[in-house]
Amino acid sequence: MKEQLKIDFEKLLETSNFSKNNIEIKRKNFDNFIEKGFPNRREENWKFSDLNQIISKNIKNLSFYNDLSKPNKIDQSIYIDSLEHNKLVFVNGRIEKIQFDYEEKNKIEILDDLVLEKSNNTNNSLLFLNNAFVSKYFKLIVKKNYSLQKPVVIYNITNKDLVSKSINLKVDIFLEENSSLKLIEFSNDKSTTNFININYNFDVQKNSILKNYKIDNNSNSNIKYCFNNISQDTNSVSEIFLLSSGSEFIKNEINCNLNGKYSSAFVNGVFNLNETKHHEIKTNINHIVENTKSYQLIKGILEDTSKAVYQGKIFVDSKAQKTDGYQLSKAILLNDNTEFNAKPELEIYADDVKCSHGSASGSLNEDSIFYLMSRGLNYKEAKKLLINGFLLDVVEKITDSEIKNLIKNIMSLKQ
Amino acid sequence: MLKIKNLKADIENRSILNNLNLEIKPGEVHAIMGPNGSGKSTLSNILSGKKGYDISGEILFENKNIFELETEERAHKGIFLAFQYPLEIPGVNTNIFLKTSLNAIRKARGEKELDAIEFLKLVKLKAKELKFDEEKLNRQLNVGFSGGEKKKNEILQMSILNPKLSILDETDSGLDIDALKTVADGVNSLRKKDNSFLIITHYQRLLDYIKPDYVHVLMNGKIIKSGGPELALELEKKGYENFN
Amino acid sequence: MREKQIDKLKDYKYGFTTDIENIRAPKGLNKEVIEFISKAKKEPKWMLDWRMKAFERLKNLKEPNWQKPKYPKIDYQDIYYYSAPKSASEKPKSIDELDPKLLETYKKLGIPLQEQQRLNGIAVDAVFDSVSVATTFKDKLNEVGVIFCSISEAIQKHPELVKKYLGSVIPLTDHYFATLNSAVFTDGSFVYIPPGVKCPMELSTYFRINASQTGQFERTLIIADKESYVSYLEGCTAPMRDENQLHAANVELVALDNAEIKYSTVQNWYPGDENGKGGIYNFVTKRGLCKGTNSKISWTQVETGSAITWKYPSCILQGDNSIGEFYSIAITNNHQKADTGTKMIHLGKNTKSKIISKGISAGFSDMTYRGLVDISSKAKNSRNYTQCDSLLMGNKCGAHTVPYIKNKNPESNIAHEATTSKISEEQLYYCQQRGLNPEEAVGLIVNGFCKEVLQQLPMEFAVEAQKLVGISLEGSVG
Repeated sequence: MKEQLKIDFEKLLETSNFSKNNIEIKRKNFDNFIEKGFPNRREENWKFSDLNQIISKNIKNLSFYNDLSKPNKIDQSIYIDSLEHNKLVFVNGRIEKIQFDYEEKNKIEILDDLVLEKSNNTNNSLLFLNNAFVSKYFKLIVKKNYSLQKPVVIYNITNKDLVSKSINLKVDIFLEENSSLKLIEFSNDKSTTNFININYNFDVQKNSILKNYKIDNNSNSNIKYCFNNISQDTNSVSEIFLLSSGSEFIKNEINCNLNGKYSSAFVNGVFNLNETKHHEIKTNINHIVENTKSYQLIKGILEDTSKAVYQGKIFVDSKAQKTDGYQLSKAILLNDNTEFNAKPELEIYADDVKCSHGSASGSLNEDSIFYLMSRGLNYKEAKKLLINGFLLDVVEKITDSEIKNLIKNIMSLKQ
Repeated sequence: MLKIKNLKADIENRSILNNLNLEIKPGEVHAIMGPNGSGKSTLSNILSGKKGYDISGEILFENKNIFELETEERAHKGIFLAFQYPLEIPGVNTNIFLKTSLNAIRKARGEKELDAIEFLKLVKLKAKELKFDEEKLNRQLNVGFSGGEKKKNEILQMSILNPKLSILDETDSGLDIDALKTVADGVNSLRKKDNSFLIITHYQRLLDYIKPDYVHVLMNGKIIKSGGPELALELEKKGYENFN
Repeated sequence: MREKQIDKLKDYKYGFTTDIENIRAPKGLNKEVIEFISKAKKEPKWMLDWRMKAFERLKNLKEPNWQKPKYPKIDYQDIYYYSAPKSASEKPKSIDELDPKLLETYKKLGIPLQEQQRLNGIAVDAVFDSVSVATTFKDKLNEVGVIFCSISEAIQKHPELVKKYLGSVIPLTDHYFATLNSAVFTDGSFVYIPPGVKCPMELSTYFRINASQTGQFERTLIIADKESYVSYLEGCTAPMRDENQLHAANVELVALDNAEIKYSTVQNWYPGDENGKGGIYNFVTKRGLCKGTNSKISWTQVETGSAITWKYPSCILQGDNSIGEFYSIAITNNHQKADTGTKMIHLGKNTKSKIISKGISAGFSDMTYRGLVDISSKAKNSRNYTQCDSLLMGNKCGAHTVPYIKNKNPESNIAHEATTSKISEEQLYYCQQRGLNPEEAVGLIVNGFCKEVLQQLPMEFAVEAQKLVGISLEGSVG
């Protein structure tokens, strides 16, 4: 693979117009990736999901060069039509459309082709890979005191033309003071066996609100990794919802730094898995200053031979008195050979805090099924009703009612 | 027994008590009435030495200034506070708590500590007097107790520790009429010529059962009027707002 | 203001050493030292071979480094691996023959042997440094066929049992410290409870580290045969030392069909001074195998001592319907560090496990609960319940909870709960108003916090443990 990486990297540099500065940084990142390679289970973070093994098992002849010179057609039937929204459309890793019809033009700014940061204080080899191979680095800025009229949907579409490629996207979202944004990331994959590596950076300034909904629902054979870094200033709120369901493998990693007093973070997630799917959610919520709050609720339904992993960590700095941290994960295993692994972790250095976590996994409650059947439902109906109720609990946490209904529709479509 | 002179108390630069004066002689029962926020609970907390207030003035207990004494040292001297909201302490058996507490006080006073048998005998007696369900004494301290049970438990502790000055901080709030009577009986049975009481309350009704010698009206951190039991009735009729 | 007079000897009331001439193997870890140990203990060849196998294996192993507490590099060549009180080279026939100095030491520790025998009805197998010097109540145990002796004696007298079970729970090659122990272990206890026997008394052993720079490598093996029951108590105190001392014991438990083993520990070794100087490194491997159906192993520990504690008493639930339990109180103060917890490995059907862990950290200390619950796909209808509560005192200490939860069985349920809290000012004030000083109040509240675990201890230990809980936190409030 190393040879392929080298060839593809040189090809990328040859065919692109990166600045000298950018090339230098890319080379450095490339070298770092070559040294570390794809993460494997020897790393604590990847203990339950050996990415190196998953990639070599699922993807034959992975190549890292992706020709972005020609535009791709957008399959418009994919668009969410029940909801008026702004669009950013990526097809096979290439930006195809930027459309902000509902917003004041001077309140939104979109930059592309940003220069990469020189050092990013990371040890994450997938971020090295991303920095080395990403072709355009986007940034969306929401100006001071502006709340977007309509949600923004980032479509990540892949089509049949894309096979065994590594796709890297990097997007920064910057919310200036007193602004708000609802962002839906909507994946639709008709491609096969690619490795898709996305890096989001969210900077949420004072009094701003970020709502981020990540929807991965249609079944596909891609392997994905999405790293989300969130920095929050005073009195800001972030609300993340993950629907983790469609891809063969996806790991959503959320690193959230509550840097300002009275900031709060909410992470809610649903695993709805079947067949051989293997998904992971990993969170790091860092309470850096006092009076911050975090809340996490993750639920999973596992069918066939699927596997879900939740690693959730709450870190409380010694300065972060009056922290309120809560975390709960629950999974229902429907078949033999399904597997749920959890590592709910607390690391606490302040004494005046309220932190708790809970985790439970097991079977559907047979008593409840019996109760429903005694009221006239058959086994299948009773089971479905219970599963719906189990997952609905998480979906109900979504604070935007329009988007909540959209997600409810998407989820019931599948059943 | 207790002499409070020009007591001032601030919390975070907010004045709570302002030049409060009060004297309680042995055997007397004083009632302090006042609306919410008048400084009633602050007064009881300061008397038992709770930290977090900026205070000035003088508090003499048996003619000695107790300003510098820690909470437990005041308890050793015989000051008891029946809490408005008694704390729950999970895992700690009520009997064990009471025994530890009683023996800490006895030890500080140079009295012989009670062994388990002597203690249980005492508790049994007191619980019977106060109609307190003995079974509850084997439970965790105040955990799962109803509001009324918690208050009765305070009175039981009071009667076992046998203090010189008992401060009852809104002990009547949240009690039904039966519990109120039990609490009053408990207090009345402890009334002796050298035991004093300071009863802090919002309403007059407790005073139907515990006849005070003096009633004081506390408003904005000051005693604005003192009198006999009739003052309580007057207050009840007029309400705090029209009292001035 | 409350100012405490700090009197070091008072702070650690078990801090003293005894002058007894020692027989020592030369410093260092090599073939010759292992041969010396084996020879000194008059071991058969198979035992020496076993040790050598472990030693060979050790050469390829590295010290683990995933645990949270880090420690300075240990020079394994600078440790005495064997030392024995001289007077024990001719084993005394009865307690009266013991070196009076030795007896005095036990007295200071609060373990008067004769008195214990007479008053408590406990059989004591006391380990002084490395050699077992006194075993009592043998007759009474003999009557029912219980074997309770030093592991060295068992190797000579009951080789068939030792051969069968030694290393059957903790394999020779398990990990660095377990393998090191297998190569150089000096002594420890051996217990065999025959089928159908309920051991008529609590069995007990006191460990103690004495001779300077002597690493202690105890080895304990307890086998409960079918339908039997035994309760075993282990208590530890150690003298004050400046050099860090390594302790790497192995404890193996085997429970056959319908058998039950209850293993309780109170660990109060020298934790180092207020500045974190000195103290014991307690790197212990404890593991129980519920081999038979309906078997049960229950670990209870109160960990208050040592500079670094690093242990995970675990249960392998192999037999169907077997039960594993872990009850733990761990307290760290000053600069102590503890990384402790358990592993519950569910292999058999209808297996159940329960974990109750209470961690208290104060001062500059650091406490980690680390645990694994693993329900395999064959362990149908299994259950685990875990509760981990942490209490912090001050914001210079840390409390961490790192559970690994793996469920591969749809008919099994795992429930895990954890909380972190502090003692509220209001609770302290309430207790003080009732006449308790702050330290008594903290002791009381913390004992309440730990109650579920303290209840699991046998009476003899419960009282001592309650005191320890209070003593360990002295100086942490005010």
